[in-house]
Amino acid sequence: MNDLVLIRKNLFRRKLRAVLMMVSILIAFAIFAVLASFERAFNAGQDRATPDRLVVLNKINFTQPLPISYYNRVAAIDGVAQITHFSWFGGYYQEPRNFIAAFAVDPENWMKLRDSDFVFPPEVRAAFIRERTGVLVGARMMEKWGWKIGDHIPISSSIWSQKNGSHAWDFIIVGSFTARIPQADTNVMLMGYDYFNETRSFGKDLINWLALRTTSVAANERVTDAIDGMFANSPYETTTDSEKAFNKAFAAQLGNVALIVELVVGAAFVTILMIVGNTMVMTVRERTREIGVLKTLGFPGGRILRLVLGESILLALLGGLPGLCVALLLITRVRDSLMSFVPTLSLYPDIAAAAVGLMVVFGIITGLVPALNAMRLNIVTALGRS
Amino acid sequence: MLSPTDPMIDIVDLCKRFTKGKETITIFDGLNLAIPRGDFVAVMGPSGSGKTTLLNLLGGIDRSDTGGIEVAGERLDRLSESELSRWRASHIGFIFQFYNLMPMLTAAQNVELPLLLTRLGRKERRERVETALGVVGLADRVKHYPKEMSGGQQQRVAIARAIVSDPALLLCDEPTGDLDRTTADEVLSILQVLNRDLGKTIVMVTHDPAAAQYAKRSLHLDKGHFIEKELAA
Amino acid sequence: MRSIILQILAVTTINLKSLPQRLWLSLATVIAVGLVVTVLLAFLSMANGFRRTIADSGAEDIAVVLRSGAVSEINSVVLRDQVRLIEDGPGIAKAADGKPQTSGELYLTVNGIKRSTMTKASLPLRGLGPQGPALRRGVVMTAGRMFNPGSNEIIVGRALGKEFEGFELDQTVTFNNTRWTVVGIFAADGSVFESEIWADLPVLQSLFKRAGAVQTVRARLSSPAAIETLRAYSDNDPRLKLDVMSEAAYFAQQASNTSDLIQKLGWPLAIAMAFGSLAGALNTMYSSVAARATEIATLRAIGFGGFSAFVGTLVESLILAAIGGVIGAAATFLIFDGFTASTMGGSFSQVVFNFQLSPRLIGQGLLLALAVGLFGGLFPALRAARMPIVAGLYG
Repeated sequence: MNDLVLIRKNLFRRKLRAVLMMVSILIAFAIFAVLASFERAFNAGQDRATPDRLVVLNKINFTQPLPISYYNRVAAIDGVAQITHFSWFGGYYQEPRNFIAAFAVDPENWMKLRDSDFVFPPEVRAAFIRERTGVLVGARMMEKWGWKIGDHIPISSSIWSQKNGSHAWDFIIVGSFTARIPQADTNVMLMGYDYFNETRSFGKDLINWLALRTTSVAANERVTDAIDGMFANSPYETTTDSEKAFNKAFAAQLGNVALIVELVVGAAFVTILMIVGNTMVMTVRERTREIGVLKTLGFPGGRILRLVLGESILLALLGGLPGLCVALLLITRVRDSLMSFVPTLSLYPDIAAAAVGLMVVFGIITGLVPALNAMRLNIVTALGRS
Repeated sequence: MLSPTDPMIDIVDLCKRFTKGKETITIFDGLNLAIPRGDFVAVMGPSGSGKTTLLNLLGGIDRSDTGGIEVAGERLDRLSESELSRWRASHIGFIFQFYNLMPMLTAAQNVELPLLLTRLGRKERRERVETALGVVGLADRVKHYPKEMSGGQQQRVAIARAIVSDPALLLCDEPTGDLDRTTADEVLSILQVLNRDLGKTIVMVTHDPAAAQYAKRSLHLDKGHFIEKELAA
Repeated sequence: MRSIILQILAVTTINLKSLPQRLWLSLATVIAVGLVVTVLLAFLSMANGFRRTIADSGAEDIAVVLRSGAVSEINSVVLRDQVRLIEDGPGIAKAADGKPQTSGELYLTVNGIKRSTMTKASLPLRGLGPQGPALRRGVVMTAGRMFNPGSNEIIVGRALGKEFEGFELDQTVTFNNTRWTVVGIFAADGSVFESEIWADLPVLQSLFKRAGAVQTVRARLSSPAAIETLRAYSDNDPRLKLDVMSEAAYFAQQASNTSDLIQKLGWPLAIAMAFGSLAGALNTMYSSVAARATEIATLRAIGFGGFSAFVGTLVESLILAAIGGVIGAAATFLIFDGFTASTMGGSFSQVVFNFQLSPRLIGQGLLLALAVGLFGGLFPALRAARMPIVAGLYG
C-alpha cells in the first residue's frame, strides 16, 4: 500500500457519489474541449495567415468589385513578391443548398502563392495551367462529393450566368491537392479566371480582390500605402489590409464567438465547481474522526493535506480525461457536417494539454478548503474526546 | 539513549484547564506522576475525573497549560505540532474503545498505515504487518474488511496497528469498553503478553475493575489527583 | 387518502425544515440548475429574437422576385427587361393612379464601424424607388425627412444608427468617392429594415455602375394567394427564369439557418450541463436522505408509510430545482432580454436584433429544471422509501 492506494480507497468509498461527480466533471471538460476547439477552428483563418500576406479590397466593401487591370498595376509595385486575384463564383452543386466554395483565379500565380499551404503535384500544376475549362478541387471537397479526377461536373452559380443564359458551367476536374499545414482547408474549388470571364454575361473584367505576399513584413506598410495611394480618388478605391486582420474582421461579423464560448464554459465550470467543491467539503467532514485517527497515528498535517488534495485531483483527472475522449469523439463525428462552417475542426493538442492543466487546478480548488480543514483539524475534537 | 531505569513517563506540576463558554473547568492543578519503563498501569476513576485528558496529554494529541510532561525521553510541552506528529509515529501506539479502523481498508492495510510514515520498503512493511497480526492471532484475517469482523477481532487489528511500528508506549482508552467478557479477556491477555514478553509500557484507561486486574498496578484518578493502589502480586 | 396527504405534508415539512443543515450543498444545486437554465434561455432567446426580427419583417402579400438560385438578395441580378415583364405581370395590386405597386431595388453592402467592438462590419445599402417605403409595414421617419430623388441623400434605419458609428442625422459619409448626407432616421416596426441604409435607386445605380439592372423586385400582391399566379407567370416565360416567393417565405428562409444553428448549439449544451447538474442534484438528495435517516425511520416506526417518505424526498428535490429554474429564468430576463446584438444575416450584411425571452421559452427552461429535479430526486426518494427502519433508528 502507498498514499495513492489510500487516496483511491477514500475516493471510491462511496462509489455512486464518486461516479456522479466524475460524470459532472466529464461533462464540464467535454464542453470545454469541444467549444475551445470550435473557437480555435473558427479563428483558424487568422492563425493561418502569415504576416507578409495582404489583401486588396474595394474600399466600399469586400463584396464590391475591382477592375482586373489593378492586377498588373499592383504586381508592378516594388515590394510585392507574389500576387493573385480572386473572383467569387458563388457556386452550388445541383441544389442551391449544396454550397460550393469556388473562386476564379490566375492558376499559376495562385498555386505559387498557396504553395506554403497546399501540396500541388507537378502534373496537377501543369494540367491546371494548361486546361482552360479545368478546375482544381481540394481533397476534402473531392471526398465530400465523391468526385474523381477527370469527372465532368456541372457547377451552378447563384450570382453569374453564362452568355447563353445558363446558370451552370461544366467543368472538368483536372487535379486535386492536399493540405500542407493542418489549418489549411481543402474544401475548396479553383477555376481559371480567363474562361470564367469570357463566358459570363456581365461583370466582365472585374474581380473581387487581390491577395499578395510582400518581400518582407517590413515592406508591408510601404506596399499598403503605395496601393491605396495609387487608386485614391479613382472610381474603384481600395483598402489594403493584412490577411489576418481581414479574416479576423470577417469572423467578428458573425458575432463574438469567443465571448459566447467563454460564457458557456464559465457557466459549466462554475456549476461543476460548486457541486464538486461542496461535495468534497461534505465528504471530508464525514471523515473527521478518521482524520483524527490518522493524526493520532502520527500523520503530519501536510501529509493529510496532500491526501485530500490528491483525492480531489484524482477525481478531477478521472472525470476530466474521459471528458477529453468524449470531446474527441464528438468532434470527429460532427466534423464533416460542420465542414463548410469550421473547416479545420479538431481537438488541438495544446487545448488538450490546457484541459489537463485545468483539471489539476480544478482538483486543487475543489480540494483546498476541505484539505485545509483536515490539516488544521484538532485531534481531540475530531475524536470526540474532550 | 535512555537507560531502562529512566521513567517512561514523568509529569511534574501539570495544569490543564478547559473553557466551556464562560466557565473554566480545571482538570489538573499540579498533577505529578512517574511511570517506569515496562510498567502496565490501569487508570481508573469516575467520569470527568480527567482520565481521557491524561491519555491525550501523554499521547501528545492535547497540550498542557503549564508544568512539565516528559514521555519516552521527550519534553512534550516543548515540541511543535509537527515534531509531536513525528514523535507519536515512532513512540506511541493508540488503542481506542471503538477501534477506529478505516472502513475502506483491509485488516492488513489498516495495520500498515503507521508504516507509511517510515522509510521501510514494501517487503519489510509486509513482514512487519504479518508479524503484528500474528501477535494478535489474526494472521488468517489479512484480507478482511472491518465490517466483516467481530468487535474483538477489530480491536485486535487495532492493537496490531498500535504495535506495528514498535513503539515503547501503548495508550489504551477503554479498550474493552465495547466488548463482552470473553472477548475482553482475550484482548487484555494480548496486552498482558505485550507488556510481559515484549516489554511495552502500557497505560490503560478503564472503568472495568476486572480489566484493571490485568495491569501490574492501578491508579485512581479523582478530581485531578491520584490515589495509588498497588495490586496484590 | 386524507391520511396519505397528511403524511406527505408532514414528511415534506421535515425535509424542508432540515434544508438549512445542508445549506451549501442545496444552494450549489439550486445555482447549478439556475445556470443550466440561464445558458439554455440565453441561446433560445437569441435564436428567438433573431428569427422574430427577420421573419416578422416579411409580409404575406408582398412578393420578392430574385434571380433563380440566388438564395439571397446580394447575389441576385434582375435585368431591366425582366423588371418590366414583372411589372406587367398578373396578381399585382395597382395604386390609385393605376400603376402597379412594385419597387425594383439594389442591395449593396458598405463598410461601417460597430460601436461595441470598433470593428469593421458590412452594412446593407438599399437603393429603392418612390414606392419602396410603402411596400413595407410601418415605415415612419423618426427624425429628419425622406431623401430627395436624384440627390446624394440617405436615410438610416433606427437600429443600425444605434449599433454602428457615423450615421447620426446631418452627418456625411463617403461611399465610392461620393459624400452622402444622412437626412433622416426611420423606424420600420422593429423589422430587419431598421438595420438598413436607404438611398434613391437611380443615384445608386449610376454611382455603383449598375445602370439598367436591379437585384430584386418587390411587388404588392392583390391577395396573398396571388403569389401562385405570379409564380406561374414567371415559370412559363423563358425570359424570366426568376424565383418568386412571398416576402414572409423569403425572410423565414433567411432566418432559419442562423436561428437553427443557435438552437442546435443551445439545446445540446444545456442538456449536457443539465446532466452535470443532475449529478449534483442526486448527490444533494442522497445526502439529504442520509441526513434524515433517523427522522424517516422514526416516522416509519410510528406508522408512516414508505410512500410518504418517497414523495417527501421527491418534493424537496423538485422544489430545489424549481427555485433554480426560476432564478435562471429571472437572470436571463434581467441580463439578456432586450440585449441588442448584431450578426451576419443571409446577405453577408449585419442584422441588428434583440434577445427576446417569451413565456414559451421560460416554460421550456422550467421544464428542463424540473426534469433535473425529477431525476435527481427519484432514486434518492426510492432509497428513502425502502430504508430499513431498524438501520435508521440505530445508525
